[in-house]
Amino acid sequence: MTTENRIEALRQEVRAWLESNVPTGWREAMTNVEQDAFVAAQRDWFVKLSTAGYATPHWPQGWLGGGRSLAEQKVIFEEVARADAPRLILYFVALYHAACTLFECGTDQQREKYLDGILQGKIWCQGFSEPNAGSDLASLRTKAERRGDRYVINGQKIWSTMAQYADYCLLLVRTDNSGPPQAGLTYLLLDMKTKGVSVRPISQITGDDEFAEIFFDDVEVAVEDRVGEEGAGWAVAQATLASERGLTLVELTQRMRYALPMLVQSMRQNGCEHDPVVHRDLGKLIANVDAACALADQYLMKRIMGDEQVGDASIVKLFYAKTLREFAALGVRIGGLQAQYYSGFMRGATQETGHWTLDFMNSYNWSIAGGSNEVQRNIISERMLGMPREPKSWQLAEGKA
Amino acid sequence: MSFELKELQDSTRRVIDAAGIAADESELWSQLTELGWLMVTVPESLGGLEAGVQGACTMHCELGRGLARAPYLPAMLALDAICGSEQSERDTWLEQVFAGGLITTCLAECSLHVSDSRLDGSATGVQSADSAQHVLLWTDSNDLVVLVDLRKPGVAITAKPTWDLTRRLFDVELDQVPLSEHHIVAEGESARVMIQRLAALRDFYLAADAIGGAQTMLEMTIEHLQTRVQFKRPLALFQALKHRCADMKASIVAAEAMLFDALRRLEGDLDNPQFGIKARGVKMFATTMFTQVAEDCLQLHGGIGMADEHPCHLFLKRALLSEQLSGSGAAYASNLALDLIENSGNLQSGKCA
Repeated sequence: MTTENRIEALRQEVRAWLESNVPTGWREAMTNVEQDAFVAAQRDWFVKLSTAGYATPHWPQGWLGGGRSLAEQKVIFEEVARADAPRLILYFVALYHAACTLFECGTDQQREKYLDGILQGKIWCQGFSEPNAGSDLASLRTKAERRGDRYVINGQKIWSTMAQYADYCLLLVRTDNSGPPQAGLTYLLLDMKTKGVSVRPISQITGDDEFAEIFFDDVEVAVEDRVGEEGAGWAVAQATLASERGLTLVELTQRMRYALPMLVQSMRQNGCEHDPVVHRDLGKLIANVDAACALADQYLMKRIMGDEQVGDASIVKLFYAKTLREFAALGVRIGGLQAQYYSGFMRGATQETGHWTLDFMNSYNWSIAGGSNEVQRNIISERMLGMPREPKSWQLAEGKA
Repeated sequence: MSFELKELQDSTRRVIDAAGIAADESELWSQLTELGWLMVTVPESLGGLEAGVQGACTMHCELGRGLARAPYLPAMLALDAICGSEQSERDTWLEQVFAGGLITTCLAECSLHVSDSRLDGSATGVQSADSAQHVLLWTDSNDLVVLVDLRKPGVAITAKPTWDLTRRLFDVELDQVPLSEHHIVAEGESARVMIQRLAALRDFYLAADAIGGAQTMLEMTIEHLQTRVQFKRPLALFQALKHRCADMKASIVAAEAMLFDALRRLEGDLDNPQFGIKARGVKMFATTMFTQVAEDCLQLHGGIGMADEHPCHLFLKRALLSEQLSGSGAAYASNLALDLIENSGNLQSGKCA
């Protein structure tokens, strides 16, 4: 069989499997439910998907479902989007960030200790951002002090998705203050049940509490749970962040395209189906969505060919985030007063639920998290267009905090 | 991009860079006919390069980078129609083109009808009609594509000077022009398919041209910001300006991705009606993007951007015209929306691949 035929055969196989396995009515079932029900539904879907081998196509050969090429992984993501399957939000950090970090930078003992757990449904969260270290991640201050064969951690993390349900945390801490900020960071794996760890969910503007703060009060982590050398945390964190390799944006842009008919449905419900002004706005959005899909697709093709250049990923993310905002904003306009009536929220859904005001609020997830639009613009202008970096000479005026 | 396309891109860029921005029309025309560039989509069996629509768009992108003045865009459309013709005169017309003769076509509206074997009507946006022997036109009923001899009685051409200084447009009026059988390119169903295809190609070529123009404009602007010093620092250091450049870069790359993605998916299937709607989306996105980029880049140049001696205005004016040629952004946006509405029955059936 040629590669092309193999890919097409995989597409048909995944499509058929999804048709009989995607839980029906999951969107309705996940609207205004308690978080426990959401977690249970995610777990059920994860077990189904991972048993079929479709949750871990990016893992190496020898693991369940592993050893798939990037082109094959792309097919799986495209089909998941096409089938409107629930997104595995709760397991994303485990399957991608944790697993890929362990494959790339972990020790054999660490892989043995943690990877089976991931396949059995252990949930991981990410402990990178801090209240004073967002865009400037390298300035983080959560401190780890070496005492014998352990690190003792004090500090606080924030914006950790689903940390309240997590079994483990990928933790980036400061072990040294003497050199440049990136050089003093160390990467640890933390059991969330360790004494001294407390989690506080953050109530969000959507009414959901998907994110949480994590507090560390003399929390002890064994040295064998360090990934990479002490002081090499920044490089390990780059491996974590690069792990999903553009697949998420292929899935999300495709989902956005499949969601366009929702806008038409809203137009019909609100009687503006024949409004020429709405037609123009919708037409422009359709083209933008098409461009976003093409960008994500082209980016992944470049990765498959090994042609990726610095800044490429930033362009895809920036363009997607802007288009997503436009999508939701048009929904809000079409929805009119109806969209202003509180409709509750849908958990673990995609970015487009047809609850337009909710979707609008949620669209900030993509323009702020994972490197804000502003950070992406810095990367594009400085590293791609060769424009100079900000001078570092700025100082607080005297007497100011 | 494949190796062949890369080669085509490199060789086109060398010539256009050497010619400079908005170089002389007739010099560039003879250069590009000598180099065989018009033959980019022509099959090898007819003496062409057979590089497909992707090849043509790669070339239009490069020509757009230099705001090329020559009427290669209508010439390539006319040539595409001729190659697709099943008429016995085809090879005679091809020889005329091989010899450097220009057959132009309409880049805006064509309204023509036949009665008693005579043609009446008009076409707007006919590029460089004064230096062409023939113009390729089609009837309102979409069942006839013809070559009209511009020097024959009953044919009047009127120059319509545009703000865009890089393209010369004409109106063509036909008054009781005898329809000669020798000049029919396609009839009936094959004419209908040909007209659709030409409209789609016109949109893709204008889109590619816009992408090239926007690329040069942004490069020029960044160079300006790097060298222009105010407040004792290069303007390129100001984040407010850097972010605008980043947004422009993202839109340009998006337009390019959109164009070539559509072509990759549809290249072998040019008569598919989806080709037309895709082409409209790409054309709208790319030409609107070009206008936005040109508008902002002129602003970023400051005072010099308003001076006639600086090329900034040439880009802006070409962008504004391209946005209106073929079909306006507003009209195309409505087309896209109506297509979606038509194809969104209920939500489930809307989920098509």
